[in-house]
Amino acid sequence: MASSQKRITKELAEVTSDPPVGIKVSLVDESNVHNWNVILDGPPDSPYAVCLLSHTSSSLANSKLIQGGKFKLLLVLPTEYPFKPPVINFKTRVYHPNITFDDKGSMCIGILKAEAWKPSSKILSVLTATQQLLSEPVPDDALESAIAEKFKSDRKDFNAEAKKYTKQYATGK
Amino acid sequence: MPPPNTPRRSSSVDSAAQSHLDYLDLDLGEAVPNIPTSAYSLSPSAPRQQHLHLGVDRQPGGSLNRLPEPNLPHTVDFRGLNYADTVDENLLCPICRVPMVEPVDTACDHTFCKDCITEAFKYSNLCPIDRFSLTNTDLHKAHKIVTNQLDALLVLCPCCTSPVPRAMILNHLERYCKDALVRCPGQACRDTVKRKLYGRGCLHYDVSCPDCNMIMQQLEMADHRERDCQERLKDCSHCGDVILRCKEDGHLEKCQYVPASCEWAEYGCDYESRRKDLAEHADVCAFKFVGPMATILKKEINNLRSEVRTLTEKDHIKERRIKFLEGGFGGQRDTDRPLDYADLPSQSLSNLADSSHADPLDSGHEYLLSLVEAQETKVDRLSAGMTELEAKQTMMLFNETIQIKNELAEMRSSQQVLSMHVRWLLNFRRQENQRRFGAGPSSGGGTDGGGSSHDMPFPRRLSDTMNRDLVTKL
Ligand SMILES: [Zn+2]
Ligand SMILES: [Zn+2]
Ligand SMILES: [Zn+2]
Ligand SMILES: [Zn+2]
Ligand SMILES: [Zn+2]
Ligand SMILES: [Zn+2]
Ligand SMILES: [Zn+2]
Repeated sequence: MASSQKRITKELAEVTSDPPVGIKVSLVDESNVHNWNVILDGPPDSPYAVCLLSHTSSSLANSKLIQGGKFKLLLVLPTEYPFKPPVINFKTRVYHPNITFDDKGSMCIGILKAEAWKPSSKILSVLTATQQLLSEPVPDDALESAIAEKFKSDRKDFNAEAKKYTKQYATGK
Repeated sequence: MPPPNTPRRSSSVDSAAQSHLDYLDLDLGEAVPNIPTSAYSLSPSAPRQQHLHLGVDRQPGGSLNRLPEPNLPHTVDFRGLNYADTVDENLLCPICRVPMVEPVDTACDHTFCKDCITEAFKYSNLCPIDRFSLTNTDLHKAHKIVTNQLDALLVLCPCCTSPVPRAMILNHLERYCKDALVRCPGQACRDTVKRKLYGRGCLHYDVSCPDCNMIMQQLEMADHRERDCQERLKDCSHCGDVILRCKEDGHLEKCQYVPASCEWAEYGCDYESRRKDLAEHADVCAFKFVGPMATILKKEINNLRSEVRTLTEKDHIKERRIKFLEGGFGGQRDTDRPLDYADLPSQSLSNLADSSHADPLDSGHEYLLSLVEAQETKVDRLSAGMTELEAKQTMMLFNETIQIKNELAEMRSSQQVLSMHVRWLLNFRRQENQRRFGAGPSSGGGTDGGGSSHDMPFPRRLSDTMNRDLVTKL
C-alpha cells in the first residue's frame, strides 16, 4: 500500500517540522514509518506534571517550575491505515482511569475505537486527544475501575497517587 | 528525490521496493521498434534527428524510409507528483492527503479521490469524514470547478522538474520533456535514452573514463566526468584555480594566465603574453588601426564569396533542368545505347558552366534528387514549426477553456439562484392572487385540498428560508 505510506510520511513530516506543544515524535526504526515513539508531556494543570521545587516555596512556584512528566508512548499504524485506526500504548506507567495500570498501558479513547474511527482523522489529532485525556479522565468509560472509583470519590487522594507515580515513572528515562 | 530516469526494463509489473521508480513506469515489454509511424508524425525532434542518424543510409530510394518514432508509453503516478506551489487545503483528499486524483462527490457532500473512497468502502460503507452511510452508487463525478482547479495545478515534471499543469503532464512526458526516456536510436539497441540525447545516436557502449580509467557506458560518461569521477578535478597549471578536467579546454580559452598572442596575430603582429596583459598591448599594437579594417574587409569578402557560391549553385540547378528537359525531348534516342548528352545540341551550354559533369546519367536523376532534398528540408522545417505551434495552441486553449468553464459554472449557479427567486416570486404572486380573488377555500386549487387562506403563510415561509439558505451557501 504505497499510498498509505505516503500519507504517513507526510503526517510524520508535519508533526516533526511543526511539533505541537508537549508532543515529541520519532521513528522507532528509520526504515519503518509504521512505528512511532512518542514522548508526551503531562499537562501542567494535571497531576501528571511535577513541581520541581516541591513544597519548599509553594508561594513562589510559578508555571516555570512545573514540568510535565515525560510519558513514553508507542504508536503503531496498521498497514490498513488510514482505514483502520492507529494503536497507542503507554510505555510509561500511568495512574489513570482510562489507561491500564500494567506493562501494556492500553488506552481507551473514543476517537480510536474501531466503530468511531474516521479515515480523515489525523495522527496529530489522536495525539492531542491523548494529551487531553490526561487532563480530563473519563471515569465512566474506565479500564481501571478502582482508579475511576477513587477519581470520583476522593479527588485529592487520586491526585496525590497520580503525582506519586508520575514522579516515580515519568522521568523520561 | 533520487535521480529520475534510471533506465528500467519492467517486463514484470511489480511495484517493488524500488519506490523511487514508481512514479515513472516505462513499459518496454512490447516496445520493440515497429510502432506505426503516422501516430507520432508530429513529434518535435524526430524528423531532423533521423536525418542525422540516417546519414549513411540516405541513398536514393532508401531516403524515404523513416525509422519508427522513438516515443515510449509513459505512465504517471499522480499521487507521487511534487507540486510547484503549496496546494489549497480544500483540494487535498482527506484520505490520501495529496491533491485529489479523479475526485468524486459523495451523497453527504464530501469529495475524495475515486480510488481512495473505493478503497475505503472495502473496510466500511461509512463516509470517512462524517460516517454517513454510503453506497457505491452514491458517488458522482465532482463538480467541474474542482477538476479544473486540480488540472491547472502546476506539478514538477518527474523527469526534468520543470513546472507543467497537471492535466498536461502525460503529454509533456510523451512529447516534449527533454529528460524523458525515448527508445535508443541504435538499430539493434533495445535500451532507452533521454530525449535530448536522441540525436547523438546509440550511447550504450563501454568506454573508459579518460580521467580515472573506470569503465562505463558512454551514456553516463558526461555526468560521471562532471559529478562523480574521483579524478575529475585538477589545478589549472596557469592560474592555479581548481577546474573540471572535462572542462579544461573551455577554461584554457578563457584563463587569464594562459600565454596568448595578439588579437591581430593573423595580420602579422607577433606579440605574445599572458591573456590578462594583452589589453595593455592592444593600446600600443602597431596593427590597432589596420586590424579592424582588415576584419571588415575579410567579412565583406566572405559575404561575396558565399553569394557567388549560391549563384553557382543556382546556375547548376538551372543547367540540370535544361539538360533534363532536353533529355525529355531526346526520347527518340536508341534504347540499347546509354543516354549521352554529347549527342544533344545543348552540349555547348553545359560545357560553359561545368565540364566536370561527365557522367551522362547524372543530371536528370540528380536534378530530381535535389528537388526531393529541397522538399524534404522544407517539410522538416514545416513540421518543426507545426509542433511548436501545436504546443503553444494547446496551452492557450487549455488556459482559455479553464477560465471559460469557471465562468460558465458561476453563471450557471447564479442563474439557478435567479430562477429560484423567480419561482418564489411567481408562487407568492399566485398565492396573493388566490387570496384576493378566490373567495372560498374550494377555489384554492386541488393541491391545497382543504387549505383555507390561513394556510398560505406556511409554504411561503418554507420557500423563503430555503431561498435564504441557498444564498448563504453561495
Ligand atoms: Zn485520495
Ligand atoms: Zn461525508
Ligand atoms: Zn519534463
Ligand atoms: Zn543504445
Ligand atoms: Zn572518471
Ligand atoms: Zn587557468
Ligand atoms: Zn599586437
